[in-house]
Amino acid sequence: MKKLIAIVATVVFLPAAAMAETFDDAFDMNRAMHGKGYTFTWSGKQYSTDHLEEVEARVAATKENAEDLIAKAKAKNAEVANVGFEWKLTKGILKDAEAAMVSGDYRKALDLAAQAKYHARIGLEQHAYAENNWHLSVPQ
Amino acid sequence: MKIIKNITIGLSLLMSTQLVFSAQPGTTLASVNPEADRMALQQFFKKRFPDAELADYVNGIYAVDADSRTQWEDLESFPPYEFDVEEGERLFKTAFANGKGYADCFEKGGIGIRQNFPYWDKKAGTVKTLEQEINECRESNGEKPLKWGKGPIAQISAYMAWTSRDNVFDIKIPEGDEGALAAYLDGKKFFYTKRGQLNLSCANCHVQGSNVRIRADLASPSLGHTSHFPVFRSKWGELGTLHRRYKGCHKDSRSQPLGMQHETFRNLEYFQTYMSNGLVVNGPGSRK
Ligand code: HEC
Repeated sequence: MKKLIAIVATVVFLPAAAMAETFDDAFDMNRAMHGKGYTFTWSGKQYSTDHLEEVEARVAATKENAEDLIAKAKAKNAEVANVGFEWKLTKGILKDAEAAMVSGDYRKALDLAAQAKYHARIGLEQHAYAENNWHLSVPQ
Repeated sequence: MKIIKNITIGLSLLMSTQLVFSAQPGTTLASVNPEADRMALQQFFKKRFPDAELADYVNGIYAVDADSRTQWEDLESFPPYEFDVEEGERLFKTAFANGKGYADCFEKGGIGIRQNFPYWDKKAGTVKTLEQEINECRESNGEKPLKWGKGPIAQISAYMAWTSRDNVFDIKIPEGDEGALAAYLDGKKFFYTKRGQLNLSCANCHVQGSNVRIRADLASPSLGHTSHFPVFRSKWGELGTLHRRYKGCHKDSRSQPLGMQHETFRNLEYFQTYMSNGLVVNGPGSRK
């Protein structure tokens, strides 16, 4: 019996132990636990929990910057729509970003554009992941 | 006692993981095997719901959830779609302006043929659905196409399903036709792919999540999913087509949904209906 337990334990636990924490896992966990603006250490180096797009939005709140980030977000969303992974709320967020820009609220426009661009980027990551892993839930 | 129980859990986990990794998931044109997929899906649900009869899967969630079944049986004793079938028959038999009618467009005058849809149209190089051919019939006779989701198209489709009740689904993927197999594979891939802000696949809810409560609803097993459409849904308060449902469910993963009768949705219907081969046509249906 004891032997059996030991065998079961090693086999069951092996996959977890063999899988080192990836950067993405560490990022996601720290982001979930601490939100944005937090610094964490991974593989001996320090990283921020900010999303790429939150960094991009941290520029002067001017019309030019807002226009620029909205254009980038739209392009990214077109890219993700093209592979069939556009998210439901993204177009609405882009509309709100444009409305904020028109009304002169460039900070809000930048933040919304950043959010839309983030949606699109994660959608593209989903697509790339799906290409290799979609079979995982096919019953065999 | 506890330890022994743990051991069995450990062992069964172990065996199921090995099973998952040793078999062929059929993700490429070279490896995909629709018949093996159909058997594997049946086996999956047989294990998950040992008491459910295979033939009963045309009844969706009510095949596996005894509680809601009683309510549904009451509903079906005065079927809410009865008027729609009558209206569908009237529309079906009303001649177009040029004197022709739907019966002229379909085999066997359109009666008792639901089980053959959707099918691979080799010449057109695409999957054809019943609703699509209803509209093509109209357009080739100089009539305007109908809207896809509800109303007359759903009623005509309901009448055609009604005349086909108890016929056995017989979806074919013509041997040696790569286009047909590719369409099937595309539908299968769509069904099993996680997407949207919630990162959910159809399978997450309708295979692994079948009969699991999602907010106020229990998701039905995917086996038999297309057998009873169009459906009179209490939430809609009216009859709707399969693609209307596809669009709503696609959106439920917080994705921007595809349009009804989009090629990918037609491929999805081809895949899902192939999975239902051997089950009977049971449309129209009623659901919560
Ligand atoms: C978040 C979970 C969820 C996801 C994801 C989801 N569905 Fe659904 N679906 C439901 C629920 C809940 C219902 C209503 C209960 C039921 O299954 O009849 C439903 C109903 C259906 C029905 C009608 C079943 C019947 O018996 O009339 C079909 C067909 C369907 N879904 C297909 C799909 C497809 C295809 C996808 C992927 C594009 C999908 N669903 C994604 C939860 C989901």
